[in-house]
Amino acid sequence: MFTAPGFLWLLRHELRVLWRGSILVRTHKHVLVPIIAVGLIFQGVALLLAGQIVRHPLPQDQMLLAANINIVFLFALMFSRAITASIDVIYGRGDADFLLASPIPPGRVLAVRMLGVAMSIAAPWALLGGVLANALAVHGQFWALAVYPMLLAEGLIVAALAFATVTALLGRIGPAVARRAGHTLALGVGIGIFVLGQLSHFVPPQELARFWQSLLPGPSGGGLAFLFARGLLGQGASLLASIGVSLAGFALAWRVLAKPFADGAITAAAYRPPGRTGAQGGRFANTAFAALFSKDLRLLGRFPGLVSQVVYRSLTLVPVVFILAGKGKAYGGMAVVPPLLVFLAGQLGLFFISVLRGTEDAPELIATAPVPVALPQRASIAAAGYAALIILALPVLATMARAPGLLGALLAGLAGVLLCNLTLGLRLPIPLVRAEFGKSQTGTTLGLILGVSVSSLWALLVWLIIAPSPFAWLVTRPV
Amino acid sequence: MQAALTVRGLAKSFGRKVVEGLDFTIYPGEFYALLGPNGAGKTTTLRMIAGLMRPDAGSIAVYGRDVLADPLGAKAIMAWIPDEPLLYDRLSPLEYLAFVAGLWGVAPEQAQPRAEALLDTLGLWPHRNERCEGFSRGMKQKTVLAGALIHEPKFLLLDEPLTGLDAASARLVKDLLRQYVQGGAAIILTTHILEVAERLADRIGILSGGRLLAEGDLSTLRERSGVSGSLEDVFLHLTAA
Repeated sequence: MFTAPGFLWLLRHELRVLWRGSILVRTHKHVLVPIIAVGLIFQGVALLLAGQIVRHPLPQDQMLLAANINIVFLFALMFSRAITASIDVIYGRGDADFLLASPIPPGRVLAVRMLGVAMSIAAPWALLGGVLANALAVHGQFWALAVYPMLLAEGLIVAALAFATVTALLGRIGPAVARRAGHTLALGVGIGIFVLGQLSHFVPPQELARFWQSLLPGPSGGGLAFLFARGLLGQGASLLASIGVSLAGFALAWRVLAKPFADGAITAAAYRPPGRTGAQGGRFANTAFAALFSKDLRLLGRFPGLVSQVVYRSLTLVPVVFILAGKGKAYGGMAVVPPLLVFLAGQLGLFFISVLRGTEDAPELIATAPVPVALPQRASIAAAGYAALIILALPVLATMARAPGLLGALLAGLAGVLLCNLTLGLRLPIPLVRAEFGKSQTGTTLGLILGVSVSSLWALLVWLIIAPSPFAWLVTRPV
Repeated sequence: MQAALTVRGLAKSFGRKVVEGLDFTIYPGEFYALLGPNGAGKTTTLRMIAGLMRPDAGSIAVYGRDVLADPLGAKAIMAWIPDEPLLYDRLSPLEYLAFVAGLWGVAPEQAQPRAEALLDTLGLWPHRNERCEGFSRGMKQKTVLAGALIHEPKFLLLDEPLTGLDAASARLVKDLLRQYVQGGAAIILTTHILEVAERLADRIGILSGGRLLAEGDLSTLRERSGVSGSLEDVFLHLTAA
């Protein structure tokens, strides 16, 4: 007699599939060694930091506020990741219908998928947060280990919310737009974190202090709004209550979604065709290079994560704009603008060329065309460089107007960093979240690490050319 | 008469021999079907002819141009359609055709009307401005076929070109290919649908274990095999031996 595979068997399968799709598994083994080394360095730094925390403990209300801010940011970041992960497990992986057609109870399939998403979104943060928690535990602060169950609890509630949101979104706006909504949310959180980090440069200290004061929980401990924060700080009752709330939310979402999932309504909704019409149109080119260049620009412009990823990378422009507008003198004033622009150019160039590598769906078509082997690569380099320069044109012109003497170093730096990173990206593109379903990742972490290093080196070089003592502001800055 | 394709002593191995001592010739105006069981070396042969894979030994010439010595010259007069459509999902059919025409150096004033005519013939005109990502497999395959024909190649390599097409589209494509051959071009096709080969091909080559077992029109193959039935009977008899 047939016995349907159990929950744990199915969960093991789910986790195996998620693990094999994770970036760590796709990372080359030679990269894992430096990553582990960096991890150990972090652990060492965390031990020092934990020692400081133990020697100079913050007041309880400030600890609670810090924990709550972390909980809120993690919630938003996990939610953004959970949306794309939910779309993937319902639609992207393409095996939901296969499992629904099997004799395994559909409710079990859904529960396993939701739990798999919860664990996969909590795991990276557990790795990161664990570094400090372990260090605090070494110093005798065992309450810090509460980070592990709390992250899982947060993962559960976030996964439940994400599945419910995705179910509602997919039927109305389709999987591609739903995934973009997830990216946009992550972008908003990223900008929020960045802006908070920059507040001290632009907001008077008294106002800033008042702002933080207003967020403190007060003597009562902050009530329900600080429940998860108290759990994170290892307060037993709050920890148990947080886990209970998360499990209840998870069970409720599962209960509501199980029926439509079993009916196939959720997976069927995802198969809505994209139906993008009208905006496209062919323009016939005179040369193979022009055809390749124009194809590359089109694919770049239609990459779903383009805007959010460019905005992320362009956050470097925020201090640049302030300095160019004469409203800030942070980090050494005008001298810092060219290195920042050079760094940004390197990162944009690497991103654009990686997108082009990732969206090259028909390499064999080009291989059968009567064009020199290097021509498609040259066209991709030109298209990626062109796109990067368009974004940088305005700040470069503004620099020319404000400080013409810096232009030579800036232009040389831009040319150098673009040439290096575009060539690097052709061979080692960075990993990208692909909105196109069922296609594999082409990027590598090695490309990401090398690309950031190249951008940093060029930026440093330009900085040294412009300001022989680039870190003087660190010494002279008033405390 | 100059041959459209001349293959001599072609060999390729990936640990084991996939293609071994292959010799055959195709002439202009000829439709040649290359048949064989799974793993016979059909796709490998086509990929070597298309210039996508270098053979271990042997020579390939397309209208006298050596594919190994002058790959660009040979590619300029060829088109290859693989079993999986090579398509950019985020381009529309018209954009895709503009791209392919550019790659093959077709002047815009020639490419534009050709693209419009091909899209019309293949029933894709109403979808010319939609992105291919929402297309069915059959629509994608027809878009790829239009791309292959836009530069009017003298020699077409087709690897399972009818996969995913409905009956009406398959008929349309078969008629289009037949007309193309009547216009003087040469076609080599691999397929597992033996009726297609029987109906379209002027000559058939049967490949097994990387070697050409038999070649000729259906009556020649019947003589060679001693089987008087359909192409299927002949094929099964020859490949089982």
